[in-house]
Amino acid sequence: MSCEKNRTSISLPEPRQGDAVDLSVHRGTLLTSRSTGGAVGRTSVNFVPQVGLPCGPLPPFPLLRVVLQEVPRTWTEVSQGSKGVEREREMEDFWTGALWALKIWLYLIVCLIMFPAMFGFSLGISETYMTILFKTLEWATVKIQKANTEERTLNASTSNSLIQRGGGSMEKEFEELRLTRPKPPVGGDFTLSDSFYFTRRGIESIIEDEVTQRFTSEELVSWNLLTRTNNDFQYISLRLTLVYGLGIFVRYCILAPLRITLACIGLSWLVIGTSTVGLLPNSRIKSWLSEWVHVMCYRICARGLSATIHYHNRENKPQKGGICVANHTSPIDIVILCNDGCYAMVGQIHGGLMGVIQRAMVRSCPHVWFERAEMKDRHLVTNRLKDHVNDKRKLPILIFPEGTCVNNTSVMMFKKGSFEIGATIYPVAIKYDPKFGDAFWNSSKYSMVSYLLRMMTSWALVCNVWYLPAMYQQAGEDAVQFANRVKSAIAHQGGLVDLQWDGGLKRAKVKEAFKEQQQKKYSSMVVGDDSSSSNSD
Amino acid sequence: MGALQSLHGRPEYLDLAEKTGFSFEQIRVLHERFKQLSHNEETLRRSHFNEIPDLACNPIRAQIIEAFFDRRNYHQNGEGTVEEIGFEEFLVVMSHFRPPSLHMTEEQRENVRREKLRFVFNMHDTDNDGTITLEEYRHVVEELLSRSGALEKETAKSIADAAMLEVASISMGHMEPDEFYEGITFEHFLKLLDGFEIESRMNIRFLNMDTSTLCK
Repeated sequence: MSCEKNRTSISLPEPRQGDAVDLSVHRGTLLTSRSTGGAVGRTSVNFVPQVGLPCGPLPPFPLLRVVLQEVPRTWTEVSQGSKGVEREREMEDFWTGALWALKIWLYLIVCLIMFPAMFGFSLGISETYMTILFKTLEWATVKIQKANTEERTLNASTSNSLIQRGGGSMEKEFEELRLTRPKPPVGGDFTLSDSFYFTRRGIESIIEDEVTQRFTSEELVSWNLLTRTNNDFQYISLRLTLVYGLGIFVRYCILAPLRITLACIGLSWLVIGTSTVGLLPNSRIKSWLSEWVHVMCYRICARGLSATIHYHNRENKPQKGGICVANHTSPIDIVILCNDGCYAMVGQIHGGLMGVIQRAMVRSCPHVWFERAEMKDRHLVTNRLKDHVNDKRKLPILIFPEGTCVNNTSVMMFKKGSFEIGATIYPVAIKYDPKFGDAFWNSSKYSMVSYLLRMMTSWALVCNVWYLPAMYQQAGEDAVQFANRVKSAIAHQGGLVDLQWDGGLKRAKVKEAFKEQQQKKYSSMVVGDDSSSSNSD
Repeated sequence: MGALQSLHGRPEYLDLAEKTGFSFEQIRVLHERFKQLSHNEETLRRSHFNEIPDLACNPIRAQIIEAFFDRRNYHQNGEGTVEEIGFEEFLVVMSHFRPPSLHMTEEQRENVRREKLRFVFNMHDTDNDGTITLEEYRHVVEELLSRSGALEKETAKSIADAAMLEVASISMGHMEPDEFYEGITFEHFLKLLDGFEIESRMNIRFLNMDTSTLCK
């Protein structure tokens, strides 16, 4: 292939009489003129030059430059306009200008965002952005509230509940029920009125149940100028609408491309960096380098999401040889936690892009990846985790015991598997601030890609991470109780509701055993206190 | 004080508010819940109800769910069942559990009470013949008591029989030895539960929203 970008010449047929010919071959563009009843115009003809492609693998930026220089060339050749030369020059200027702007853009990103991110210091740009954002949202809130003063909007009370539940337990309520009923002379202690209690409880569950609402996004007290959180948009004032429109422009045209670029850079750097480090022989330098590479990439990704993270109680950070457990809201939790330390991940090997990343990561430091079939075998999983934990040189394991994404208002049942290993548990609580963007991944509603795009077009991601003191399994405590204890600690710290329900209920049904508990309790009440009913006839 | 809540562009709520007596705020909240349960579809089906975990633990969930699909509860003198319901039917069934408002005449109170009792009666009268027969009664007892074996079938049967006897004695007074008790009719049912404080047992109080009912 020719690597030259030549001007090529062509030969034309002899001009006929009457034609005024004005030929110039200018960068491959053939211009000719045709006489049309005396007037001389200029038209350009379709002509594609023999331009060779650049040879050999080139680093990305020069390739970009070359590609961008070829685009205007082919473009101008293909166009068919009069005044070809001037137009072509304009286009050229335009494309040079665009190229120049792109160069500036990239250099800016690298200097202002990447380098600080890589080395962990901050230039204060994001802080300024956050302050402006905060002030704007506050102003918007005040405006909306002023417009709604005469309305009794539903107060987002801390309990987040709609209806007042019957206070007493089943036993107490039944006592009350029976007071107003004449005691039968003989036989069973049951009447139709008993069903009132269950009917009411049933209707209460239909209106509001604790589980289903945990899998939808949290409701905001006031609108945060994002379309997606607005349920019924009322026109309140011109200024507010303008700010909202400006917000859309800023988010989609400025912030989103920036973030996507950063995310791509971050991920590709992760793959390249870890593979490179993986080539080194095992030594202390290797582990130090791999930690550095990992943290750098996660920092870039975090900047890519405009994430502001506040870490609390860093003296309790997880140590090597332990297990770190946290509540799960979205896949971004990993980026959030790994910004501040290095962890070993646990999970299933995926195909595609995820698989590439996973395989690259495992080259530089040991993570625990399972094949799909291996995940079913609990003993295998437990043993591998035990081995990892017992090797004190290996990084702490990061596990999300809920097993699924919950909407950050509550913590659901922790699966006991990770608590059976017998290692030190370091609980971590993560709480996102919903004002700036909703981080919850509703996997039944959005795919991973559309979720990430939504993340990149929200205002920012603000979250608090609390490191809790290490916990150990106490004597006489089984894994389930230990798990519940850890769960309560996390819920308490993060200000979340502590639920006993299993996160798996997102997709599966309630277990039969659980259902029968309620029935057993009731039947013991009816039968237990009336022994004569067992004499049947 | 007048209607001081703006409708937020939902004129159809006006209709529903009149029919069911809920306030706009309550209707809005229930509409959100409806959408959540039906996964943003227009109609609810039985399968949607079966997905609620809390309800799955309730022994008489089948009857409760059926009550939503039972035309007798729609105040239109209909009969039979439907397969799917819209928001209006959902709201009408829910309105049986609305707490009684504070300003009500004696007659209105009596009507409300009758309505609620009718609802419960319909729930147990599954074959829609206007009486709760012994079979249906036994069925209720079995559902409420455990089917897992903690209670034997015989015990459950005897409890049902005893309870039925009690009902018969209250409603029919003295019965001849060979007279057969058909079943509990609605009138007997009313008589049975006469004096029973149903208003406090069968209503759901909405938090933070009751203030609207005070400003009438």
